[in-house]
Amino acid sequence: MGYAIVQTLNALSFSALLLLTGLGLSVVLSLMNFVNLAHGGFYLLGSYVAVLWLGSGAPWWLAFPAAFLAAGLAGAVLERFPFRRFYARPHLMQVLLTYGLSVIMADLMRWGFGAQILTPELPAALQGVVFLFDMPFPLYRLFLIGAGVALGLLLWLLLDRTLWGAVLRAAVTDRGIVETLGIDTRHLFAAVLVLSAGLGGLSGALGAGMLAAYPGLDEEVLILALVTVVVGGLGSFGGTVAGALVVGFALTFSKVWFPEFANVVAFSAMAGFLLLRPNGLIAPPLRQI
Amino acid sequence: MDRLHRRKNLRTGNSAPPSAPHLAPGRRLVLGGIAATLAGLPPARPTLAQTTLAQPSLPQPALVQARPVRIGMITSLSGPFTALGESMRAGMQLLLAQSGHRLAGRPVEFLVEDDLARSEEGARKARKLIGQDRVDLLCGVISSGVALALRDVVTEARTPTFLLGSANDLARGAASPFIVRPTKTNWMLGTTAARWAHEKLSGARVLTVGSDYAAGREYIGDFAATYQQLGGRLGRQLWTPLGSADFGPLLTTIAAERPEAVYGFFAGSDAVRFLRQWKEYRLAGRVPLFGAGAFFDQEDVLPAVGDAALGALGTFHQSPTAPASAAFNQAYMATGKPLPGEFSTTGYVCGQVIRATLERADGDLADWAKACGALFSAPVETAFGTMPFDPRNGQAILDIHVNEVRRGEDGRMVNTVLHTYEKLRDPGPDA
Repeated sequence: MGYAIVQTLNALSFSALLLLTGLGLSVVLSLMNFVNLAHGGFYLLGSYVAVLWLGSGAPWWLAFPAAFLAAGLAGAVLERFPFRRFYARPHLMQVLLTYGLSVIMADLMRWGFGAQILTPELPAALQGVVFLFDMPFPLYRLFLIGAGVALGLLLWLLLDRTLWGAVLRAAVTDRGIVETLGIDTRHLFAAVLVLSAGLGGLSGALGAGMLAAYPGLDEEVLILALVTVVVGGLGSFGGTVAGALVVGFALTFSKVWFPEFANVVAFSAMAGFLLLRPNGLIAPPLRQI
Repeated sequence: MDRLHRRKNLRTGNSAPPSAPHLAPGRRLVLGGIAATLAGLPPARPTLAQTTLAQPSLPQPALVQARPVRIGMITSLSGPFTALGESMRAGMQLLLAQSGHRLAGRPVEFLVEDDLARSEEGARKARKLIGQDRVDLLCGVISSGVALALRDVVTEARTPTFLLGSANDLARGAASPFIVRPTKTNWMLGTTAARWAHEKLSGARVLTVGSDYAAGREYIGDFAATYQQLGGRLGRQLWTPLGSADFGPLLTTIAAERPEAVYGFFAGSDAVRFLRQWKEYRLAGRVPLFGAGAFFDQEDVLPAVGDAALGALGTFHQSPTAPASAAFNQAYMATGKPLPGEFSTTGYVCGQVIRATLERADGDLADWAKACGALFSAPVETAFGTMPFDPRNGQAILDIHVNEVRRGEDGRMVNTVLHTYEKLRDPGPDA
């Protein structure tokens, strides 16, 4: 009983991490139709900022806004040049550009933060453990689940329930019409990219306790985020949530039942699933023009 | 090329090329090439065989010895082993700096190439160092996959190589007369861990867990084989893919199995995640944990896991508390580095063995069989301790320490030697 509950919580906490990393990627992909392979770089930057912040003795909970701001700032700089010029270009060009940038970011971070594996000094409040039917489960992971749910909800409210979100969705559908209404869509898109980069940094800060921070992590995270977004279905918020849950549960329970073939089982399941539903779990009606 | 150049000049009776002293080495090489071509000599660099033949006809051996010795290192400066590769390079550079950048009277040119931890890239860089840079000897390699790929390249090119991967096969089927191995094989660590477990845990049921790749399979497989031979009982054997993001599910499974002890092998970021989560899931202190090799590496893993590994035991040929390592520890830390781990020590030891080889061969590796014979004739004093070589496969015979992770005086975690199994010799071709 305890075993099943803890394994389910394990899956949920990993799904929360996938959701956090996937959200930033899916926001720019679905709302701006921009493929950002430098997203892993924002994640890793957030991780490094959080590790340094938590080691510095400043109030621990400020590490998360700090990581959000640092990555958001990096996103703002990159948005001005060169991302902005590539929004209207084909996906292949965007892939080339952002992949190149991700390599540059990785090298800069290795230069700045070193090649050692760094881990955050978790605050005492997150180091505890709860026992469920005699099976231990770390508090930090409960915190991850909570953060994933809270951030997901917040983002959903922002994009789906506010005027700003409505304008944004309108701008994606028909940028020209929105501009005739007197709204500067350039600022709008810049804001979305900063938000996405910031989310990447924030998820890096939250995930550092589980994944640590080291050169090369950016690529690993990017692949997980891409898988999440693709399985869930491009272009929908609910899809990313569903994708995170499916991938998180698949990867966790394949480790529980077939630890030796965990990746094979999990990824074949996802590949088979995509054959059945090529547009992902939740595919919105196609609105790309 | 330089040597050809000189030989031609000696033949034509010139004492020295008139313009040579003013030219940069690169241009001198080019000029030498042109001169050699014009003189009808083979313009390509001499193969090892040609050099060997030409050797006795050289009237002034002093000239040969003043020629710089070019050492090529292939290591991982990007990819998953970046930190290890940088440590290896730092260890080697420290030895070269201590030797005043001269080995056996010859100035040293040290070239480093990045293999990206990929075997085809490693082989390409080896061909480049041998063919284009004309190194006198090669050394390096973190990944055993790269080591096995290099084995064929250097054997074919007959380039003396000090190869540092640790796959068992490097001392067995893949041994080569051109390869010296101044480091451990995985078998040495796995089998000593089993002997220790048998002596101290008196037949406890041991669960094994490891990264599912070549090294993990060898560390766990050799442990399991020896442990069962000695009469120990094994519990479940768990494997997890290399580069696992989350060990939570695995650790929950381990907690539910309630094993009497856990033996494991992970490296790099996997080791860090496993050990941190080992503590988060409250297994630390409740279940005895032991492992082998880089699982508790002093430089790469222990600083990143806090006290999560406290009390864990590991078999390793490296320990910062081994007496032989003391002088190296001090010199390494004086360069602003932390307490050394496996790969910085290995890089340094590799340099010590190269130095010994060159010194015993009077700085001339042209007759490699003879140089090898001199190296194998007597042990070398290294930071791993006194190191004899097995002449059958060029494999070092090593002392293997059982390290316990203890809290040092300054609060840091230190691999502390509990016991030493002396003179472990890989079965080599007998296996």
